[in-house]
Amino acid sequence: MNNLPLIARLLTLADDELILGQRDSEWTGHAPLLEEDIAFSNIAQDELGHALLWYTILHEHCDQPHPDRLAFWRAAPEFRNATLVELPSGDWAFTLVRQYLFDEYEKARNAALAQCGYPPIVEAVGKITREEIYHLLHSQGWIVRLGDATEESHRRMQAALDQLWPHALGLFEPIQGDAEFSAQLNLIKIAWLDAITPTLAQATLIIPPDTRPVFGGRRGEHTDHLTTLLDEMQKVARTESPDAVW
Amino acid sequence: MSDTQLHTYEVFHQSKSGEPHVHVGAVHASDAALALQYARDQFARRLPCTSLWVVPSDQITATSQAESAAWFDSSTDKSYREASGFPMRDIVKRAENWQENDQLTG
Repeated sequence: MNNLPLIARLLTLADDELILGQRDSEWTGHAPLLEEDIAFSNIAQDELGHALLWYTILHEHCDQPHPDRLAFWRAAPEFRNATLVELPSGDWAFTLVRQYLFDEYEKARNAALAQCGYPPIVEAVGKITREEIYHLLHSQGWIVRLGDATEESHRRMQAALDQLWPHALGLFEPIQGDAEFSAQLNLIKIAWLDAITPTLAQATLIIPPDTRPVFGGRRGEHTDHLTTLLDEMQKVARTESPDAVW
Repeated sequence: MSDTQLHTYEVFHQSKSGEPHVHVGAVHASDAALALQYARDQFARRLPCTSLWVVPSDQITATSQAESAAWFDSSTDKSYREASGFPMRDIVKRAENWQENDQLTG
């Protein structure tokens, strides 16, 4: 069986989760209040757990290297995450808007993946979905709270949305080598837009019109921010040999 | 100094369906919905949980520390009111013995 489309697809799934989880974990110890620190650190951990699920399928079903090897021993051009998740976390508004846009994308995408007919993916989607319900409750709640809370919070949220929007559209970049799933991305995007539009409207935030998406992430073309992130994330693992067991 | 950490909510945790909700602590949050999420992260991720309540702390009417002696301390001996003041164990023991004796003799 030709695994290449499957490998290409799984790498985008795993790398999105790993890089977003790493960005989210940067808030540990810095979130605006202690309770949120704990809540957001939990979410970061969940995302890393989801990344591990996808990497494990790659390893066990597609003859790819061990998850640690995939996470800590690849360079930026080998990563297939969307640029959305690699951008520096910025302020709390930026972090939450990104998280919300991604959570809704994940929900729409998981609904499509659940129908893909490949048992390991269908099973993983089942595990992930339960945690994602909570993630969405959390990020959506914050979007509505901060969108029209104060003049400053609104300004910061709108600025975050303006900056993130082209990168969010990059989530729907066709995946090279996976025509089957790429063909579904348009429908996933429509479902995503249907979900985020009322929430952003409720938060009095305006979707930037006529935006050109930032593509490239799915081909390994990233911003320099990913290199900086990987330097930090991979530093400890790379003090040992790639075969070290942790 | 003003509290920058929003409101506090008391958290009540139920570990099994039908059991009472037990007070386990408090969380800071902007509103009840978020308080429930924080309560879940702090009290329900490691403990088994079937249900959570959050209650705004300022909605709880409590006895005051200063008057606690007047409320709760007895000035005279009222041990006869306590369960341990009744010789129940002895009575039960005696009843059991009677039953055994009845069976032996009957």
